[in-house]
Amino acid sequence: MTLLTQLLRNKKALVGVTILVIVILVAIFAPLLTEYSPTQRVGRPHQPPSADHLLGTTRLGHDVFTRLLYGARISLAVGFGAGLLITVIGTVLGIIAGYKGGVVDEVITFLTNMVLVIPNLPLLLVLAAFIGQASPLVIAVILGFTSWAWGVRVTRSETLSIRQRDFVKSAEMLGEPGWRIMAFEIFPNLISIVGINFIGSVLFAVITEATLEFLGLGDPNTVSWGIMLYNAQNASALSVGAWWDILTPCFALAVLGLGLALINFAIDEIANPRLRTGGMLARWTGLIRRGEGTL
Amino acid sequence: MAFLLRRVVFYLAAFIAAATINFFLPRLMPGDPIQKMFAGAGSDLSLENLNALKLTFGFIDAPIGEQYLAYLKSVFTGDLGRSVRFFPLPVTELLGRALIWTVGLVGTATIIAFTIGTLLGVMAAWRRGTRFDTVISLSAIFSSSVPAVVVSLITLFAFGYTLRWFPNGYAANPMLDPSWGWDYVGSVLYHGTLPMLTMVIVLTGGFAVTMRNNMINLLGEDYIVMGRAKGLSDQGVMLWYAARNALLPTVSALAISLGAVLGGSLVTEVVFNYPGMGNTLYQAILARDYPVIQGALLIMTAAMLTANFVVDLSYVLLDPRLKRA
Repeated sequence: MTLLTQLLRNKKALVGVTILVIVILVAIFAPLLTEYSPTQRVGRPHQPPSADHLLGTTRLGHDVFTRLLYGARISLAVGFGAGLLITVIGTVLGIIAGYKGGVVDEVITFLTNMVLVIPNLPLLLVLAAFIGQASPLVIAVILGFTSWAWGVRVTRSETLSIRQRDFVKSAEMLGEPGWRIMAFEIFPNLISIVGINFIGSVLFAVITEATLEFLGLGDPNTVSWGIMLYNAQNASALSVGAWWDILTPCFALAVLGLGLALINFAIDEIANPRLRTGGMLARWTGLIRRGEGTL
Repeated sequence: MAFLLRRVVFYLAAFIAAATINFFLPRLMPGDPIQKMFAGAGSDLSLENLNALKLTFGFIDAPIGEQYLAYLKSVFTGDLGRSVRFFPLPVTELLGRALIWTVGLVGTATIIAFTIGTLLGVMAAWRRGTRFDTVISLSAIFSSSVPAVVVSLITLFAFGYTLRWFPNGYAANPMLDPSWGWDYVGSVLYHGTLPMLTMVIVLTGGFAVTMRNNMINLLGEDYIVMGRAKGLSDQGVMLWYAARNALLPTVSALAISLGAVLGGSLVTEVVFNYPGMGNTLYQAILARDYPVIQGALLIMTAAMLTANFVVDLSYVLLDPRLKRA
């Protein structure tokens, strides 16, 4: 609970959470916010923004604004779905490696390092190319199973230091089983790392899903921001001057990305007070600086 | 030395892992893997050529273990098969040409972004809590969170289509013959500006945030106070005491982020129609040219491992403790 109240007191987090909440609301209430269907031809091709079509139409005559609203659903679903999978795998492996040590640790660390040096996007492209037109669900699953390495690395190193603390030692003395120590003694102390890992993974999944779809590996019938980019690029939207077609999904991805990154940065500041620079600390460093003259 | 040797063995294992993925993927997919791998060639492929390709990818009448060894053998002898789209062209030749452009683009952009990002991070950490820090931190967060696709499309729209300052595609003017003359080199620089700018925008923020956070964590250390007590100048302490030590974790963060750098360049090349690895891979995906797709994964992995090794070497130089270990 304290993490949550601290989050809401942080200005960066507040902006980030606001952005995220708006995108979530837009995704849920998409049908109420627009009169059109995202998959039906509702106007002439490549009409510029007007009162009828707030953000213009695509080359196929779809309403861009409508597709933007409905596209948020897929981006969020893939982002949070894959993000959850990445975080669960990363956290579980990281805690086990850090707590158990020995051979288990060596195997997990070796695998992790290996996944980290094989370039992720080319690997995903090869996987997606063999699968063919990948649906958002398939994209979320392959993202989940290929992108957990960073999480293992940070969780493991944090677990290593927590494991040495007295409360873990005393739980061991009391004869608590290993799984209980990992789940109830160590995990609660990793909550900020897990939070950063989760939000970072959501951001990664949103970006990567859009990228894979932009590169033509998604299912072209999906209504998502990545497919919007793909269709706009295929329709040469920029060279025919239909900027609304291509800049709309760009803007949406940039805003959602910024929101998630702000939340992450704020969690980092809360977990690591030295990084906190706003409010009290700024005033305090300011005072010191003035007092000391030229440092 | 033992440190470097261990790394080399590890890189070898990682490379074999990438080759293993390549080997099993077509065999795990539903349908006939041979049919799937070489379908792009249509009827141009004579039986003789098809058999040669099958041999390269380990499709032989033997147990799976022997097939695997046959594939590894062709990978380690530098035979990655032939492109089915541009038939007799070997994959290594097709990708080798593209690799030069990518290494040039990625290498230069990484060096520029690392230098700018690290310096900004150092200055922001030194002036933490000031307006300068806020502006740098916020722009860094923004730049590192926006997808490369978005940055490249917006850059292309702004400078390529609207202002018409720079060309919209290709690595050089197609009318010119490659040479070391000023005309050609100038054209390469002119065409490379926008992709380079995109990559620098995408990368700088991440480096700045990492450096800033590392540096702030160090500023409370005793040796910083010691530097001040010695009466060193503000900048002296900032650069030679704080920044120097904060650089170590930043360099290892660089090694981890190299994969993302490569991914970013992949997208940028597609948007700017730049003839590097990314664009070649993209064209191969569109044509379902599987030998090229698989070859690209191997060559990009090899490039990543080489870059990681360079980072390891610089780590040994930066951290004298490793030399003794």
